Parts: sequence; structure tokens; C-alpha cells
Amino acid sequence: MKFFSQSFLYDDPWSIVSFAFFLRYPNPYASHVASCDVISRSLSPQGTLITTRLILKHGALPRWAPKGIMKNAESWIIEESEVDPFGRVVRCSTRNLDHVKIMRVEETITLRQTEDHKTIQHTEARFVSGFGWGLTKRIESHGVAKFKAHVHRSREGISVILNLIRQSRMQPM
Amino acid sequence: MAHSLSEACTPLKSEYDSCFNAWFEGYLEPAVSTTPEQRTKFSNQKAAEYEEKCGKIWEKYRSCVQKAVKDKQLDALLDQARQENPLKEPPNDSSTNKASSS
Repeated sequence: MKFFSQSFLYDDPWSIVSFAFFLRYPNPYASHVASCDVISRSLSPQGTLITTRLILKHGALPRWAPKGIMKNAESWIIEESEVDPFGRVVRCSTRNLDHVKIMRVEETITLRQTEDHKTIQHTEARFVSGFGWGLTKRIESHGVAKFKAHVHRSREGISVILNLIRQSRMQPM
Repeated sequence: MAHSLSEACTPLKSEYDSCFNAWFEGYLEPAVSTTPEQRTKFSNQKAAEYEEKCGKIWEKYRSCVQKAVKDKQLDALLDQARQENPLKEPPNDSSTNKASSS
């Protein structure tokens, strides 16, 4: 098992960052996202919004991966989130539904309002491969390395959306 | 907006997403300091507004996606995921406040 954790501070208020977070697909930094669907959504008795999304991602395999390791380089991802507008928190977890024996990746993101009305994003991810054949560690390390690059790109993607929201809010309707 | 997993559902998804996004912007910004009563009132209002504005298109979009999920035989994968790890805990502070980085 490998673990990754990182925090990032956005200068924008929580409501805008959270809005951008849910609007993040499509963006120029997420061309690997083929589809994104809401499969359930409800308001809890506490007034929080609970959403499940099903996302299809295309992904390239590492060059050293054995041939035939995956039938296709596609992966279904389930994303479960809860938005608490009173507590100013978004909590979102994603994981892959298929290819779990090769590697299971679980990512948790929280977006929380800070005291000075900025937004802190905390990301955690766990990588577990059950592949064997002496490749388990290599697959997990590859997963972490790819994920580190991905974290940067996904922030770039959210920044693009944040800019669009800022621009649209400056213009009178 | 991103495509649906089924091209047939993409127009319904676009219409639903537009409706949801307009609603969601307001939902994210309740009055800053609220009593529990005001919170309940806000939640009830937003729930009613969502149902009134997006309820019909949501039902259409959802049934389209549900059919596509069955056709692609993704329902078994989803059921399995739900049983393993249902999201039922409210957001908690325990693991999220530490400002670690690696």
C-alpha cells in the first residue's frame, strides 16, 4: 500500500471553489474524462447534498506493463460526495470500480473554508495493488507517480473553471 | 459539459446539469450566521425549489442513465461498490485539518 497526502490553498471563497469543483469536467486538463453522469442525488435530513457520479476515464498503461494486463485502458470511477453549505465543507471520495486487482486507488478530497475566507483543499490517496508476479510494488509506485502529476493537472483544470466563473460573475446578466 | 455514458442521454444530461448548476450556486451560499430553525427553513426551501425546477428533467435523465447502466452491465459493479463502502458519514474534521504535505 502506498499513501499520498497534500494540501493546497485557493485564494477564492469556498462557495466559488466548490462550484468550480463540481463543474470541473470537461476542462482542457481532463481530456481523459470520457463521460460523467449523476446516478443519484438527494438532500439529507441535515440539509447536506449527497451525490453519486459515475465517471469513465481513459488512461495510458505504463510501458513496462505486461501485454494483455488490461483489455482496454479505460476505467469506471465512482465518486461520492457530500456538500455541507452551513459547515462550509465538501467531502468527496472516488475509487475505481474495475481493474481493482491490478490496482485500487481511493482518493478523498475535502474543500473547507478557512477563517480568512479562502479555501483549503486536502487530498489523500491510497494505492493498493494485488497483482503479484513481483510487480505489486512497481505498480503502486507508478500509481503514486502518476497521481502526483494528476493532482497538479486537476488543480490547473479547476483554475480554468474558476476563471470562467469569475468572468461570468463580473458581467451583468 | 461532459458527455453522458450513453449518447442518447447526453441532451437530457445537459438540460439537467444547467438546471442543477443554477440551483447549486444559490444552495452554496446560505446566510452566514443562521439559527438551526433558519437552516431548516433554508434547506426546505431549497429542496422545494429543486423539486419544482429540476424534478421533472432529473427523472427523465435518471431513467435514461439507469437503462444505459443496465445495458452496459455496470449495475453489478455499482452494487458491489455500494455494499463495500457506502457513504453515510457526515463530513468529519478528524483527518482533514492537519496541513500535511508530501
